[in-house]
Amino acid sequence: MTADNRIGSDSISRRQVLGTAAGLAAAGLAGCSGGDTTTEAPADTETDTTPAEPTPNDTALEVLHAWTGGDGAAAVEKLTSMFEEEYPDLATNFRPIGGTGNVNLDSVVARRLSNRNPPASWQAWPGQNITQYGGLLANITDVWEENGYTDTMNPMAAELSTLNDEYRSMPLVSHRMNNLFYNVHVFEDAGLDPDSIDSPSALLDAFETIDEETDAVPMAHAMSGTWTTFQLIFQNLLGMDGGHDAYMNYIEGEGDKANLVDALETTGEMLSNHITSDASTISFTEANQKMMDGDAATIQQGNWAYGMYRAEDSGVAYQDDWDWMAYPGTEDMYMLHIDAFTFARDTDTPVKQKMWAKFLGTKDAQIEFGNLKGAIPLRTDIDSSRLTPFLEMNADHLANYDKFPPTIAHGLAVSPEAMDACLTAIGNNFTGPYDVEAAATGLMDAVSQ
Amino acid sequence: MAGSQDTISRTSAAGGNTTGTDRRERLRRFWKSDFVRSSPYWLVPFLVMGVAVYGGIVWNFLISLTDYEGFLQPPDYGHLDFEMYARALSDPAVISTGKNTFVLLVAFTTVSLILGLFLAILLDRDIRQKGTIQTIYLLPMALSFVVTAQFWLWMYNFQNGLVNTVIGLFGLGPYNWIGNPQLVLGAIIFALIWQFSGYCMVVLLAGLQSIPNDQFEAARVDGASIIKTYWRVIIPQLKSASVSAAVVLMIFALKIFTFLYAMFGTYRPPKGTDVLATLMVREAFNLQNWAYAAAIATILLAMGLLVVAPYLYYQYKARAL
Repeated sequence: MTADNRIGSDSISRRQVLGTAAGLAAAGLAGCSGGDTTTEAPADTETDTTPAEPTPNDTALEVLHAWTGGDGAAAVEKLTSMFEEEYPDLATNFRPIGGTGNVNLDSVVARRLSNRNPPASWQAWPGQNITQYGGLLANITDVWEENGYTDTMNPMAAELSTLNDEYRSMPLVSHRMNNLFYNVHVFEDAGLDPDSIDSPSALLDAFETIDEETDAVPMAHAMSGTWTTFQLIFQNLLGMDGGHDAYMNYIEGEGDKANLVDALETTGEMLSNHITSDASTISFTEANQKMMDGDAATIQQGNWAYGMYRAEDSGVAYQDDWDWMAYPGTEDMYMLHIDAFTFARDTDTPVKQKMWAKFLGTKDAQIEFGNLKGAIPLRTDIDSSRLTPFLEMNADHLANYDKFPPTIAHGLAVSPEAMDACLTAIGNNFTGPYDVEAAATGLMDAVSQ
Repeated sequence: MAGSQDTISRTSAAGGNTTGTDRRERLRRFWKSDFVRSSPYWLVPFLVMGVAVYGGIVWNFLISLTDYEGFLQPPDYGHLDFEMYARALSDPAVISTGKNTFVLLVAFTTVSLILGLFLAILLDRDIRQKGTIQTIYLLPMALSFVVTAQFWLWMYNFQNGLVNTVIGLFGLGPYNWIGNPQLVLGAIIFALIWQFSGYCMVVLLAGLQSIPNDQFEAARVDGASIIKTYWRVIIPQLKSASVSAAVVLMIFALKIFTFLYAMFGTYRPPKGTDVLATLMVREAFNLQNWAYAAAIATILLAMGLLVVAPYLYYQYKARAL
């Protein structure tokens, strides 16, 4: 471009600039109108499953779930193909709706329910979580009783599947919550014996040792969401002396604030001094990777973290590179998380819904899905040797333990309102700086509403 | 719409005569009027906008006056009151998220406009590679929030993020941009400014280039410095361009929900960045407090209008609109 170019006669004319600006403004405005609505499944599935005159056979069984990627997608693929093999003539419509912690799925379900257009079945945490759907769920007690699931399902899972004294949910698999995964090499370098770590305070001592003896950070933790910290606080509560009773009382709304203060102080000490410094910007998968790489010694997570270890290119092997211990102090417990399906009342597919419910409770469905998802079947009468070794150990614990505290961060233990209030209390007071007193007060208020 | 007024006055003038021929004549004239004949061009967009946007706003407002919650009962439009608004105004969560939203709206819009103006003036000074530079500045605007949010999350990483690396060269930091509640809102606003100041630049540059060259020359002949020329002569003429840029920026600031959701993958962003939009989504879709969420949405809309209203009024008075 030469220097005597005058304003307005440049290679980009005024008209072009105006045109671009107008185009961008229009595109921007168009973006606004479509932006905030909840994302639905890709358009290759039919949205409207009810034709003008619904006939029982034509209406597909519509099932919504949140397993959109990785091991979850592979597992649900297997599950649906098994179902279709079992019932080849049955029209089905399985729709994945992605998002962490079921958030998108839950909002799609909420919208569908408020529009009086419920899906036939959807993935939902049972327990207190389904109280929000009270009055809208189908009763599937006959499926439980006819197939003997009342005796063969884990008793805590069975109890959590009821609402108003009837079964309204069918559990598929469980993820264990009270895990501490650790890097074997870092523990060796630090000279730590995992068996000697039997309480949260012993874990804090171990963290000191790791800090002194190795270059690794003692604990990988992800704080880009609040739920990971929420989970950790209650692991520390469970791990204390008398932690199981303290926890069960708390979720009943009769907790002792002093116990919460203890747990929060331990957690605050961990978060202030012993976690990865970039915790606030990373997700749990990134945190998990740090443990696998040996940059961090431990991570507290649900056993979905195991999905990353057993991937073929993970570069880590069970017990050689990574290993598991129950979260210190919770050795005799299995903190229960449940992936289950729930069923809407008044749909066009009541019979198909029950076929689906029956199928979810079968041994084969639970084992095949569990193996691919890295989760533990909730049937206690399975042949656990059909599972991978790590899952087999957990399935044996599930069949033989008698303490199954239900998870608080994943819907089982407290109502959605209480869980929301808990997350607000932690989000406002416990994401650094750590205000133990305010967080304890907030958590107490949350469950006493 | 001038045609429509004509029609109305003509038909009412002819209203005194009620014979059949007259009525037919009036009907014929009505069908031939500009108003009717032009309707295929404006009526469809008018109806779509009217129902989808303004109808939605009105319906949302109606829901906010009910006590609608949960799934079992449809909203009861028989008992309308402002109870939800009273509850919202005394809710500390609404106050704090409202504060964050307001800071975001004002800081983001103002700084983007000032930065955009600065860049536009630089480009208007006939520098080399002007077209390339313009594209470089504008490009972030073309990226989706999903991309820029993840990108800035990496930039702000405490250990290996570019932001801490760069300021480390000057002996500053490292700062915990996302984890520190006092910094995180600023960090998010900065990311948004990065994305949208290029847009402001293009709009204001278009305005600048429409100003005749004579004015620059006249100012120079009168002995005005470059700064004075811009401050006294040129910038005052950019009013309408800056109004349109400001309105679009406001809309993007209200869309912050998408950015936060893409960044943190949850409806609950970290302390210090919780805005009315995220609170509204949590109330609606996590807790099914539909009426309360609708009230929060209306407050959000009112806040957006309030922020821009004084400016729009000023521009209207100055006949820039």
